[in-house]
Amino acid sequence: MKTFPGGFHVPDNKELTASASIEQMPLVAEYFVSLSQHIGRPAEPVVAAGDVVIEGQLIAKASSFVSANIHSPVCGEIVGVVKRRNAQGATVDYIHIKPNGKQDKATLKPLVDPTPAEIIERVAEAGIVGMGGAGFPTAVKLQPQDPVDTLIINAAECEPYLNCDNRLMIERAEEFIQGVRLIAKAINVSNVYIGLEANKMEAYDTLTALDGVVGDRTKEDLASKKDGDIVVVLLKKKYPQGAEKTIIKACVNRKVPVGALPAAVGCIVDNVGTAYAVYDAVVNGRPLYKRLMTVSGRGINTPKNIEVNIGTPLSAIVEFCDNLTDGTVKLVSGGPMMGFTLQNLDVATTKTDSGLLALTDKEASTVLPTPCINCGKCASVCPMKLMPMYIDFYATCGDTENAVKYGAANCFECGTCAYVCPAKRPIVQSVRLTKMKMKEKK
Amino acid sequence: MATYVYSSSPHIKSPNTTRRIMIDVCIALLPACIAGCVLMGVSNAAYSMLGLLSFMQLAICCVSAVAAEFVFLLCCKKSFKTILHEFDFTSLVTGLLIGMNLYPTSKWYVGVLASVFAIIIVKMLFGGTGKNIVNPAIAGRIFAFIAFGAAFGGAMGFVNPSNGSAVSILSPISKGSVTAGATPLQILMGAEGESTLTNLDLFLGTGVAGTIGETCKLALVAGGIYLVVRGVLNFRWPLVYIATTGIVAVIIAWIEGVNSLETVNGVMIGIKFEEAIGAFLPSILSGGLILGAIFMATDYVTTPNTKLGNYIYFVCLGILTAVLRKAVKGEVVSFVILLMNLLVPLFDLYIRRKPFGYVKPKKEKVKAQKEGK
Repeated sequence: MKTFPGGFHVPDNKELTASASIEQMPLVAEYFVSLSQHIGRPAEPVVAAGDVVIEGQLIAKASSFVSANIHSPVCGEIVGVVKRRNAQGATVDYIHIKPNGKQDKATLKPLVDPTPAEIIERVAEAGIVGMGGAGFPTAVKLQPQDPVDTLIINAAECEPYLNCDNRLMIERAEEFIQGVRLIAKAINVSNVYIGLEANKMEAYDTLTALDGVVGDRTKEDLASKKDGDIVVVLLKKKYPQGAEKTIIKACVNRKVPVGALPAAVGCIVDNVGTAYAVYDAVVNGRPLYKRLMTVSGRGINTPKNIEVNIGTPLSAIVEFCDNLTDGTVKLVSGGPMMGFTLQNLDVATTKTDSGLLALTDKEASTVLPTPCINCGKCASVCPMKLMPMYIDFYATCGDTENAVKYGAANCFECGTCAYVCPAKRPIVQSVRLTKMKMKEKK
Repeated sequence: MATYVYSSSPHIKSPNTTRRIMIDVCIALLPACIAGCVLMGVSNAAYSMLGLLSFMQLAICCVSAVAAEFVFLLCCKKSFKTILHEFDFTSLVTGLLIGMNLYPTSKWYVGVLASVFAIIIVKMLFGGTGKNIVNPAIAGRIFAFIAFGAAFGGAMGFVNPSNGSAVSILSPISKGSVTAGATPLQILMGAEGESTLTNLDLFLGTGVAGTIGETCKLALVAGGIYLVVRGVLNFRWPLVYIATTGIVAVIIAWIEGVNSLETVNGVMIGIKFEEAIGAFLPSILSGGLILGAIFMATDYVTTPNTKLGNYIYFVCLGILTAVLRKAVKGEVVSFVILLMNLLVPLFDLYIRRKPFGYVKPKKEKVKAQKEGK
């Protein structure tokens, strides 16, 4: 089974929602659609207070090359643009929409046998961004500066608890594969890999049962590969298998140079949700205003996988999942390893929210840090081969220069080091602090 | 509305803690402690007191090490409750190790002073857990060895109590100890005579007198395996250390055999390489090597942080141990570990990991950067 050097087996807790089929989240009383759900400039609103919009209508358009369109998730009336806190704690602009109960739908014209340029144009039009968490506009990604020969679909979903990609591959396998083919067509590559962690055998079996998809579990399976077939690569269950650089290393054994993008080694990595969104936009003409989300953790009464409109307040989602238990100590937006803690449920979903977790005292570690004992576990698990103990040490001392010397800038904050640390050092926090200080210096 | 914990990711952490690691080390040390006490008592019916004395030594060291830490922290104006809450068992490990490095016949105050020295001077004054520059237990043993000589019972290590009729329990050294039979290590070191001990004796600790902890190698190895299974110890490093020592000892014995054709003396010194190989087992099974290699040289705080650094570190330890044993003919392992401990910062300064996807900067670029500065 393929994998990357380093990393650590983190208990995945996926059993909570692994077999929960996707449920549709019903309409709620109000929606708050963020204008910055992606990396890049915030989108510019094209509607004003009092306007009546319908589901799928463009309400904010991309303001620059690296930006994304935003569409209304419901039929309703625009209340106005309000400032609210997002999951990361920053205050950003939201379009406040009150649904009016109508069922009208605005769709783009479905494309039949589109050209690569048409696909990219549609991806931009539909406001598709990377749905794994970073939210990089996909249309930009599909026009790389370097020549690419490989498309890797990141289906590792290595974050514990999350199951939305897993369920999507099981329940909508054909649509997903169509989406993958569309992306491959858009960037004109024939080597397509789907990197899948070994704890998703149901998804593996579903995908490999389809035409034109082969698995790599046995040599015979792989030998039956014909030109243009998609290869499902079984990856070892290890965190952070689904990081861009580690999945490239595992699937095609290429090393992305420090500071470079995957395109530098001829690869493009896209998420499962993104591939599905591309399918939806091209074949059904539906812009991106819905996404799959896992609501899990032992602090929630009924863990679920739900399809939710962008802009739904988290409080409504929690209500839909039968509320929180009393033991909840931490609310996390995203996965438990890289997600953000929420102070309250007064936050609305965005295109990049893959999960909402309510963690109990037993699950969420609230142990205070103790002195580093130099055990070196952090370094042995670091997928970037950094020396986190020194980054933490120097950052704590305020010595930014030395913290950078030990690789703080190369860290992608996967949190494996902080997970394994027996002294519970806040290593990721130290890295963020160092990065912030570096920015200040510039 | 309820407020929730607000923190940086990751939000889940492994159940592993410093305290758990240290408790694991204590558990791993237990077989050797028990074996030490039992063997000391059983090896000679007339001196069954030795077993009890061994136990007393261990207890004295543990209590004084932990007490020293508590007193120091109380002096730092920490409340007793906080100290108890933060207690991570490192001082207990240090105390246990110092006890294991004493002889059953050492004076009681040796253990106390060595433990207090190790905890207060070596550990706490340098900043406490994780900040000490040398292993406290090693420093404690060396302190006892240098400061107390006779009361520590240094030479006692080479006395065989199974036929040491003249050994006085109270102070064996001051009354003049009797070396009844040379141990294999002594012969390796150049002593005259023939050993009555087999390698199996050395491994099991039967009829061998040494410090309490280093008697039974089987128990030490069992403890080491426990630590490896628990993921506390990387099996590589003790193996590298021990194997290097053995190999270098063989090489030395061989060279010596070639150079001293006339003085064919004892078992080990032969002309042939095959005979020199016989030096392998006694050299790794004797003295404090296994105790040092598994439990003291591998102390997290005082080992380098890179794989390459660790290989060099443990190979150096092995070479130095074997060579110095030949040259010094006495206490070696602890001094070697102390010396290498002090060099660890240099390892970490010069051996640094290259990040994943590291690209060597082109020469012109480096030059240009330097000129630019």
